[in-house]
Amino acid sequence: MKSLNRQTGLLAIVGTLAITLSFSETAFSVDDGARSYWKGRDGTNVVSFQYLNLDMQAFGSQQFDPTHFIYPNSDASANLMIASYARHMTLFNRPATLSGNIAGGSADVDVDTSLIPPDFLPPDVIPGASLHQSTSGYADPSVQLDMNLFGTPPLKSTVDLANYEPNFTLDAAVMLAFPLGQYDSDKVVNMGLNRWYGRLALPMKYHFGAFSSGYMRSFELTPSMWLFGENDDFMGQTLKNDAMWQIESHLTWDFTRTFYGSLDLLYRSGFQSEIDGIDVGDKLNIGDLGFTLNYKATDNLSLRASYSSNVFGDSDLNTSVIRLQLVYGWHQLTENQKKLQGGHN
Amino acid sequence: MNLRGLRLPVIPVLALMLTLTFGTLQAFAQDQLGSNSNNDRPNILLIVADDLGYSDLGSYGGEINTPVLDRLAQQGTRYTDFYVSPTCSVTRSMLLSGTDNHVAGLGNMGEYNSPNQMGQPGYEGVLNTRVASIAELLQDNGYHTYMAGKWHLGLKPDQIPHARGFERDFSLLVGGGSHFDDQWNLEWQIPVAPYTEDGRPVAKLPKDFYSSKAYTDKTIQFIEEGRKDKKPFFAYMAFTAPHGPLHVPDDWLRRYKNRYDEGWDGIREKRLARMQELGIVDKDDNSADRLYFLPRSTTLVPAARVMQGRKMELYASMVEYMDDQIGRVFDYLKEIGEYDNTVVIFISDNGAEGNDLRAMVAGRAGTMGFLHGMNNFAEDGHNSLGRKGTYAEYGAAWAQVSMTPFRIYKGWVAEGGIRSPLIVSGPGMQGAGEINKEAVLHVKDIAPTILELAGIQHPATYKGHEIEPMQGKSWVGMLNGETQSPRDPTDWLGWELFGNRAIRQGDWKISWLYQPFGSEDWQLFNLADDPGEQYDLAAKFPEKRKELIALWDEYAETNGVIIGQRSPFEGARKALPQQVPEYDNYPPLRGLEALPYEKLIELMGGKTEDKE
Repeated sequence: MKSLNRQTGLLAIVGTLAITLSFSETAFSVDDGARSYWKGRDGTNVVSFQYLNLDMQAFGSQQFDPTHFIYPNSDASANLMIASYARHMTLFNRPATLSGNIAGGSADVDVDTSLIPPDFLPPDVIPGASLHQSTSGYADPSVQLDMNLFGTPPLKSTVDLANYEPNFTLDAAVMLAFPLGQYDSDKVVNMGLNRWYGRLALPMKYHFGAFSSGYMRSFELTPSMWLFGENDDFMGQTLKNDAMWQIESHLTWDFTRTFYGSLDLLYRSGFQSEIDGIDVGDKLNIGDLGFTLNYKATDNLSLRASYSSNVFGDSDLNTSVIRLQLVYGWHQLTENQKKLQGGHN
Repeated sequence: MNLRGLRLPVIPVLALMLTLTFGTLQAFAQDQLGSNSNNDRPNILLIVADDLGYSDLGSYGGEINTPVLDRLAQQGTRYTDFYVSPTCSVTRSMLLSGTDNHVAGLGNMGEYNSPNQMGQPGYEGVLNTRVASIAELLQDNGYHTYMAGKWHLGLKPDQIPHARGFERDFSLLVGGGSHFDDQWNLEWQIPVAPYTEDGRPVAKLPKDFYSSKAYTDKTIQFIEEGRKDKKPFFAYMAFTAPHGPLHVPDDWLRRYKNRYDEGWDGIREKRLARMQELGIVDKDDNSADRLYFLPRSTTLVPAARVMQGRKMELYASMVEYMDDQIGRVFDYLKEIGEYDNTVVIFISDNGAEGNDLRAMVAGRAGTMGFLHGMNNFAEDGHNSLGRKGTYAEYGAAWAQVSMTPFRIYKGWVAEGGIRSPLIVSGPGMQGAGEINKEAVLHVKDIAPTILELAGIQHPATYKGHEIEPMQGKSWVGMLNGETQSPRDPTDWLGWELFGNRAIRQGDWKISWLYQPFGSEDWQLFNLADDPGEQYDLAAKFPEKRKELIALWDEYAETNGVIIGQRSPFEGARKALPQQVPEYDNYPPLRGLEALPYEKLIELMGGKTEDKE
C-alpha cells in the first residue's frame, strides 16, 4: 500500500518538524531570533552554536547595550561564540522549553575620554586621552524557562504533533543570567556584567497558512522586561539600571520546505543608568531592523544567518549585528525510526 | 436491460403507439406525479456526485454530515439496488443517453481504449451521435437545459455540452483535476483542465474558484436568468466532488478533525450497524472482508491512524461541502417557488476511488506525468493535504469504508465499483422517507424516466439520422407507487469495462474479474445472501452460472462489446501485494490487541514473589 508507506514515512518529518526550528538564546541582548518559541515534541533536544559579530558606535551620551554599560563616544566591536542547549518538555501539562547558554569571546573598545567624568574612568587613564582596551573570556551564562500558556497543546506524542496546527499562541518565559563571566572592574569593557540580571517575556505568535513545511508563516511578537541587579564594583562605584523594555518581532515566511526567511525588529527602551545615585546618560531608545535566512539542511540540522542594524530611535548610536548559527536537533524516537528505515530518507 | 434484441420487431410499433398516445402519456405522467407550478411540466434537477461511496451519506448509514441530502431522502425515496458503471465517463454516457455505454460511445473510457477497440463503433471515447442526449431532446421540447460540472464525454466543439443540448453550461470537459483555480488536469497530455461556459472556452478561472461552489453558483445563475419565460428547466449538476485530489476550502479543512483516528475497521463496523438500523441492509447481511492487502487499522500506531484518518477527514469535508451547496440550490428553488415542482434525482457516478490515481497520473520519475506532478501537485505535507498544490487520495481502505458493505471499489464490476446511492424526490411521488429494496435499477433508466416525466417521446431519428433506442426502463410507474420495480425477476443487467464483466439477474450475479480480485474466470454470487460477494457458488450451482454466462454472451453481442487486448488492470495481480490471508480470526495472534506486560504476568499466574 504505497500511500500508507508514504504517509507513515511522513511521521519522520512530523516528528522532527519543530526540532530544528526551535531555539531560544538570550545572551548579549541580541534578539531571540525568528521561530525561537516554536515548540517541539516533548523530549526533543536542540543544541546550537552561533557566531556573533557586533559592531557599535556610540555618540553623545547614548548607551548601546542594555547589559553592557558603554561609554559615550566609543567605538567597539565584539566577536562572540554562544553554545546553547534546549530541551522541549511538558510542565504542568503545558509544553515548555528549558534552555541554557554559555558564551565567550573577545571585545575591543576605543573611547574618547574627553566627555567622561574622571570618576568614571579607570585609574590609569588620563582624562581627555583616547583609550583602547581589549578583553576576552566567558560571558555570563544564562538559563531560560519558557512555557506555553495558550494555543499549543502538550506535544507528548507523534499523534500530538500530527494534530498540531497552531493559530495564536501565548507563552511566558523567565530568563536568569548568572554573574560568572569575565569581569575586571578596572576595564571599561568586559564580557560579564558582575551582576544578576534576568528577563520576563510574553512571547506570542500568530500562524497563518498551512502549518506544513513550505507553507509556514508566522507573525511573532515578544514584549519583555529586563531587570538588573546592582554592579557594586563599577570602577569602585555602584551601577544601577532601571528596567529595560523590549519588543521583538518577526514576520517569518517559508519560501520552500527547507528555506525560510524573516523580517526582524527589535526595539528597546528604558534602562536609565545610575552611578552612585547619579543618573548617567540617556534612556535607551533603539530600534533595530534586520532579516534572517534559515536553511534546513537535513531533518536535524539548520543553518541560519541574520543581520540587523539600528535604523530608528536615537540617532547617536549605530549598531550592527551579524549572526551565523548552526542548530542541531534530535528526538530519540525519530532517530530510532530512521534506523528502522535504513537511515535518513 | 437488453431491448436491443427486440428492437426490430418491437420498436417501430412501440414508437407508433407512443406517438399516438403522446398526449395521453404526458397527461398521465403529470397527473400521476403532480404539476403545481406556473408551468405544466416539472423541472428536473439531476445531481451527480463524483466517486461518492454507497454508504457515505447519512441517510445511507454514513457518519458524514449530509443534512440536505438526508432531508431529501426523507421527502423522497432511497433505493438500495441502483447500479452505475465502474467509472465516470462510462456512467455519464448511459446517464445522458439511456443506452448501454458500448452503444453510446464509451465502450471503454477514451483514455484506456485498447488497440483492438480503437475506431470501432461504440468505442469513440465520446458521447457519439448514435444517441441523442436527454438534454438535446428536452431542449427541443421546450425545456431550458443547464449544466454545471464535469462532462468527460468529449472535447471537440461538436462534442461539448453546448453542442449536445445544454443551452447554458459551465463545464469541466475532462475527468478531473484541481478543484481550485490553478486548473491543472489529471493527465499531463492536457496539462490545463479545459472548462467551457456556454460553449466557449474559459480562459482563466477566478482566483476564488472552488469547484462545488462554482457549479452551484452557475446553476442558480442559469435558472435565475432563464426563468422569466416560465419554461421548465432541466439542470444537470455534475459535481466533481469528492473525486481526487481531495481539495477542501480552507475553512472546511478541519471540519472532521480526528473523527477518523479510530481507523477504517471501526468506522466500517459502525457504518454497517447504522445501515442495518436504517434498513439499507438486512441485519443478517454479510459484508466483504477487508481487502487482503490492507492492514487491520488497529495494527497501525496511533500516529499512522491519525495521518491516514486525515485523508478521510478531507473526503468527508468535501462531501459535506457538496451537500451544503446542494442546499443552496434547494433554498433558491424554494425562494422562487419552484422547489415543489422540481424532481430531484441524486446519484453517484461509480464506486468510491480506491486506486492510486495519483501514482497512475504522476507515473514514474523521469516521465512526463511525473514532471506534471512536480509542477502541480507535489506538496504532500500532513497539514498541507487538501490545499491547493496537493494531491491527496484516501486509498483503498477508506474506499472500502465508503462502499460498505461491498467488495472492492471504483473501476471494478464488483458491487463496490457499481453500486450507488439513489435518492429520488418530486411532486406527487409516493414513498416519502421509504427505502425501496426491491427495485433493481440502472443509470440507463434515468433518461427514459426524465423523458416520461417531461412528456417527451424518445425519437427514432434525430437530426436526420437514426438513433439508438434507449435501453433503460422508466421509473415513473414505480415513482407514482404503481409498482415496486420497473423490472421483473427475469430482467437482467450487464456490465463490461476494462475486460471485467458481470451480469445480474434477480439475486444472482456472475462476474469475471482480473486477478487478484477475481479468478479470471466466471464466479457466481447470490447477492441476497451475500452482498459482500464472499462466497463463490459457481461449483455449487453450475447450471445457474451457465445460464448467466449465456446472458453475458447475449449482452456482449447485442451491445457490440469488444474485450480489449489490453486493460489497466491486467497487471493488478503483480502491482498489488502478494496475498497473505489475514482475517479477524486468522492468524490467531492478529486477533489480539497489544498486551501490557503486567497483564501478561497476570495471565501467566502472577509474579513469583507474589506467590511466596
